[in-house]
Amino acid sequence: MHERLSFYIKRNSVIHHLNPLTKLTLVLALILIAFTSPWYWTPHLLVLIAIIPLSFLGKVAPEFFKTALRLILPAAGFLFLMQAFFQPVGETVIFKFYFLDMTQESLMFAFRNATRVIVMVSAFTFLLLTTHPSELMSDLTRRGLPGQFAYVIISTLQILPQMQAKAQTIISAQRSRGLDTESSFIRRMGSLTPLIGPLVFGSLAEVEERAIAIEARGFTSKKVKTSLHEIPDPSSDKLIRWVLIILVIISIALKLWLS
Amino acid sequence: MKIQIDNLRFTYPTGLEALRGISLTIEAGEQVAIVGQNGAGKTTLVRHFNGLLQPTVGSVLIGDWDTKKYPVAKLASRVGYVFQNPDEQLFSKDVGTEIRFGPRNLGYSKEKIDGLVKRALALTELSDKTETNPYDLSPTWRKMVALASVIAMDTPIVIFDEPTTGQDAPSITRIAHVIAELRREGKTVITITHDIDFCAENFERVIALSEGQVLLDGAAIDVFGQDEILAQTYVEPPQLTRLGKRLGLKETVRNQEEFLNALKR
Repeated sequence: MHERLSFYIKRNSVIHHLNPLTKLTLVLALILIAFTSPWYWTPHLLVLIAIIPLSFLGKVAPEFFKTALRLILPAAGFLFLMQAFFQPVGETVIFKFYFLDMTQESLMFAFRNATRVIVMVSAFTFLLLTTHPSELMSDLTRRGLPGQFAYVIISTLQILPQMQAKAQTIISAQRSRGLDTESSFIRRMGSLTPLIGPLVFGSLAEVEERAIAIEARGFTSKKVKTSLHEIPDPSSDKLIRWVLIILVIISIALKLWLS
Repeated sequence: MKIQIDNLRFTYPTGLEALRGISLTIEAGEQVAIVGQNGAGKTTLVRHFNGLLQPTVGSVLIGDWDTKKYPVAKLASRVGYVFQNPDEQLFSKDVGTEIRFGPRNLGYSKEKIDGLVKRALALTELSDKTETNPYDLSPTWRKMVALASVIAMDTPIVIFDEPTTGQDAPSITRIAHVIAELRREGKTVITITHDIDFCAENFERVIALSEGQVLLDGAAIDVFGQDEILAQTYVEPPQLTRLGKRLGLKETVRNQEEFLNALKR
């Protein structure tokens, strides 16, 4: 019941065994290249030859495509339509809709921008599918990310499903006391107090308890902490990261040089 | 009011089959304890009694009402359910208002509500605390408020989910007193508990669940006698029952009185 709010899918793949920082670097590199590369077809190519194959390599392809269809494509499609119609560039009108013109140039522009967004969101989806959030955070904390920052992210992911479960129990408890939650809207508005009261009180009490619990384990201590889970970072990972950084630099350099 | 459960099966949306074919009849006025390891299906079972959960297969009848045909708010007039954690149901600014909430939902007259609230307060020894905010009370007393708020609904069936967990000795005595009083009024009391001594002292019938099925069902004295079978669901008979057995007493004993009587013989 107390599942974390995360996309993470536990599988045994090459990607899952990569260091989280390597995967984060990969994602950021893909995004930076998609946005800086001077060549028009780069973002499209990145989706086809990098992100989709990577999702297969990470054994998360079915889930990846499901998320893409549900979440990424509608958003990118909307962006595409907006930009195709409202971008005031170009002369070659190919489609007219009342006062809206779709030109060849605005179409090209919209197509690239929509694909850039697809690269950005799908790369992050890929990261979230193959990396456990707490693994990413503990690796980043070990590398110097402030613990408070990691705590905010992790606790948010953890608290939401817990609050959801708690809300469900409260609703059950009040319905057992004859509270009508199924009839008209007005009556349901009236039944909000008995539901929200315990949820807010309970959650506040939990936040305090959580703060005391982590402080009891030396959360704000300045000493270097050891970790129960050692996250491996072999030299192959370091090599991959350097290659990715060099690719990004090349992409940015080309952009500056050509413009 | 009679509870009839016929071949009840329940599968959670996650695919977990929590109940695998349970058939039971609980007569009006019976005092039943449900025991079993965590995940045996105890809470899942009792949540079917007031319609919070609906059977995947089979049926649950409360009197002449099929729980599938009545909403929870309606079934609440027949089955009172005290949840494990009082903090998940208390919201009013004082104890009196909190206890009125249930009976008011059931649409009783003002005079009837006044009488029921008074009786519930007296039974749980809360009469001097009606003006207090429930959150200013200690957790043991908040539990009493939760108990009172359900007792005041005057339902023929009352369910307690682990009433004694985290309670001190005086509070457990109060809960036992409440159960005895409900029995005297002819109400059915069903209690989920891990506290076997409490179970032995207050309940005649014990149902042991294991992995969604009824492992043992019968008089407490017979159920506690079968310690090998009980061990399958990680339940140990009460201390005195085990001591009696080690001493080689002929009959199974449940409480001090029975133990001393058996020793005298």
